[in-house]
Amino acid sequence: MSEKLKPAKLLVIATKSGRVTKKYPYEEPLVSPDFRGLIEIDENKCIGCGACVNACPPNALQMISDKETTVLRYFIGRCIFCWRCVDVCPVGAITGTRKFELATDDASDLYVHVVHKKPKCETCEGQGGTQKMLYYVVEKSPVTEEYLNECPDCRKKSFIESVAKRRTGGVSE
Amino acid sequence: MSRFLKKSLWVFHLNTGSCNACDIEILDVLTPFHDAERFGVKLVTSPRHADVILLTGPITLEALPKVVNAIEAAPRPRVVIALGSCGVGGGIWHDTYSTIGGIKGLQKILEEKGVKVDAFYYVPGCPIRPEAILYAVAMFKGLVSKKVKSEIKHAE
Repeated sequence: MSEKLKPAKLLVIATKSGRVTKKYPYEEPLVSPDFRGLIEIDENKCIGCGACVNACPPNALQMISDKETTVLRYFIGRCIFCWRCVDVCPVGAITGTRKFELATDDASDLYVHVVHKKPKCETCEGQGGTQKMLYYVVEKSPVTEEYLNECPDCRKKSFIESVAKRRTGGVSE
Repeated sequence: MSRFLKKSLWVFHLNTGSCNACDIEILDVLTPFHDAERFGVKLVTSPRHADVILLTGPITLEALPKVVNAIEAAPRPRVVIALGSCGVGGGIWHDTYSTIGGIKGLQKILEEKGVKVDAFYYVPGCPIRPEAILYAVAMFKGLVSKKVKSEIKHAE
């Protein structure tokens, strides 16, 4: 074929294939069912155990402890959408969605906070864990209320004391 | 519509140490299948011609002075768009020794050096889908509204 006829050949190919460009913002995107997008945290199910925080490779999920609250912070801007948190969550609070349209002009839009209350220790007035995690533990394995109302440090202390009492025959030093 | 992006966007693509996945998606957006050029987007080869600096990667220390130079070279009003998880928040390299961990560190450094940037935009994703980039472009043009917003949930 000569040089002059090449555009004509192109026209034939173009008419055969038709329009290939997607109208995307005005039509549904091509998202396969396997696609992994944004995760959603159900605040009613979440117990604040921190399993997802341990599993998260880029630390997009972080626990921030305050005096009265424990906050689970999800930073979408750092998330790599691996869904390891979905696999690892013991109560199924985290579900994966197919959302991917996350463009924004404000960095603070990319944060999701889940605020948990901390239980108060009866003996030392310190805190440890979250309120909902305690209920979860009690449901799974019954423990006495003495242990339940204490912070982890006091729990260790009282356990050691009880062992010492047993050894010394009930006579504390 | 953003007041900085009223006309066609001329985009300078700046790779600051990314793994090339986001870069391939940017090329994908410019193919006839997705065709970002219908919104007026055009890749240019010099930051001096660009309105928008398209930044991918977690900004390595080696690339940092060049990034600052490139942003300084762009004429005002200049806009920086951080693409991908690495660009926005540092990704899995957010706390490594050889990167500054995304655009937040860069903003501080630019402030120190007196380089003004009129607007920052963020497009997370790892890697970003071509549709996500198209959505971002359409959002800057005012064709669609933004979908994410910050949430504070209280566990009962």
